[in-house]
Amino acid sequence: MTDTPRFPTRSRTTPIVPERSIAGRTLMLLIAIMTFLSGVTLGGVVLVQKSAIAWSSDVGREVTIQIKPIQGEVMDSNLRLAVSLAEATPGVASAHALTLEESQNLLKPWLGEGLDLSTIEIPRIVAVQLSDPTDADIPRLENDLKSIKGATLDTHAAWRQQLNTMAGAIVVSGLLVLALIVVATVLAIIFATRGTMATNREIVDVLHFIGASNSFIAGEFQGRFLLIGFRGGIVGGLAAIVFFLAIGIAAGSAGIGNVSAELGLLFGRFSIGFDGAAGIAAVVPVIAAMTAITSRLTVRRFLSQIS
Amino acid sequence: MIEFTSVGLRYGQGPEILKDLTFRIDPGTFHFLTGPSGSGKTSLLKLLLLSLKPSSGKVTMFGEDVMDLDQDRLLLMRRHIGIVFQEFRLLDHLTTFENVALPLRVLGQPESQYRANVEELLEWVGLGERMHAHPALLSGGEKQRAAIARAVIGRPDILLADEPTGNLDPELSVRLVTLFAELNRTGTTIIIATHELSLLDSFDFPRMVLRDGELAIHD
Repeated sequence: MTDTPRFPTRSRTTPIVPERSIAGRTLMLLIAIMTFLSGVTLGGVVLVQKSAIAWSSDVGREVTIQIKPIQGEVMDSNLRLAVSLAEATPGVASAHALTLEESQNLLKPWLGEGLDLSTIEIPRIVAVQLSDPTDADIPRLENDLKSIKGATLDTHAAWRQQLNTMAGAIVVSGLLVLALIVVATVLAIIFATRGTMATNREIVDVLHFIGASNSFIAGEFQGRFLLIGFRGGIVGGLAAIVFFLAIGIAAGSAGIGNVSAELGLLFGRFSIGFDGAAGIAAVVPVIAAMTAITSRLTVRRFLSQIS
Repeated sequence: MIEFTSVGLRYGQGPEILKDLTFRIDPGTFHFLTGPSGSGKTSLLKLLLLSLKPSSGKVTMFGEDVMDLDQDRLLLMRRHIGIVFQEFRLLDHLTTFENVALPLRVLGQPESQYRANVEELLEWVGLGERMHAHPALLSGGEKQRAAIARAVIGRPDILLADEPTGNLDPELSVRLVTLFAELNRTGTTIIIATHELSLLDSFDFPRMVLRDGELAIHD
């Protein structure tokens, strides 16, 4: 008989399902990747939605009066009249006419630098800020402006509608991608669980012979998969949050001065914010629970098939 | 306790492995199940272990017709039956102690509740010094004793053993059957499947002899 030293009593009981018998690292990596993709998709949806709301809100709080130059009309007096008509309209907070220089600057991105715009008569703009977009009497202002030749009112409604449609399409696409990632994850877990059950068939048989119930056996496997799901989820979730932090920092440092500000205005800030980060963090327990539930159901099915 | 009435068994559409078996085993008895290789000993043990259901006839265990049992009841009934496999079937990643304690662990008992009992049993089967060794480090005889300890730790009403002495020398085989006899004295019904005639001759226990799936002798 081989002499084996007697070890002190161990306080931790060895798991019935050996850790090495589960393709743990591979599955953990897969779950981490899936969580990362879910997190990035969710974060992207949050970003687009936040930007769309911000855009819509900003654009909705402003209407623009445009006055085209017309022969015989005095632009400066028309501008003053437009401002006073706007200010007299209920729901308008303020109105101001853009100076000639400001109007010319608006055209620069389209016409380029170095062009002498003083020789061209360009339309002039009155920016009208609304105190309450829902209560502003836009029809009255539209009607009042008929007294100014060449004046038109732009409420940006078409822009807002287009913007909301586009943002909605992106959000729905993101959610579809998220659903597909979930389905792919579930399938991967099912395959991994089946492989694990086949590897551990001897253990399952022995447990059955000594009277272990199917729920006990399923619980032993579920515990292992829950742990793998949590580890993978945390790694993937953290990677997604770090990804958005890095993107935010990179986007913040891109462009100089006004360019950066304009990019921010156009695309929104690349910050998912606390609620976005909380959403990504919430993906972790969801993925872990999904791993545990999927593996449990797969194990139960396997056990009922072999019983 | 166990009653077979005209029991037949076949696997799928294959030939009948067990034919028209009728016998009764009373509580607290000791039986040898013997017969040549391929006579159906292992299949009969599987029926007794409730891992198979008969193709024909009626099997009654603990007063219940096994055909009427659902999966949950079957598992509960199996807890009254201990089994010693020919190839031991110890779990390699668990220590001897953990292997023996497994039936209690699956019942949800905490280690503090069963530790003393398991240690006492391991001492009784002569494995007190080997309780922290893994099966890979145990000899054939030690594995066999560990498998027996695992089968009896839950105090089963019936103990089944499939060729338990198959890997042991004659002296150790006799000692092992003596161990079973001691268990039998505590009230456990014992059924040992073996084809070793010398072992059968060493003990005066009733024999069930199978030939070609039929019960040739049951004394």
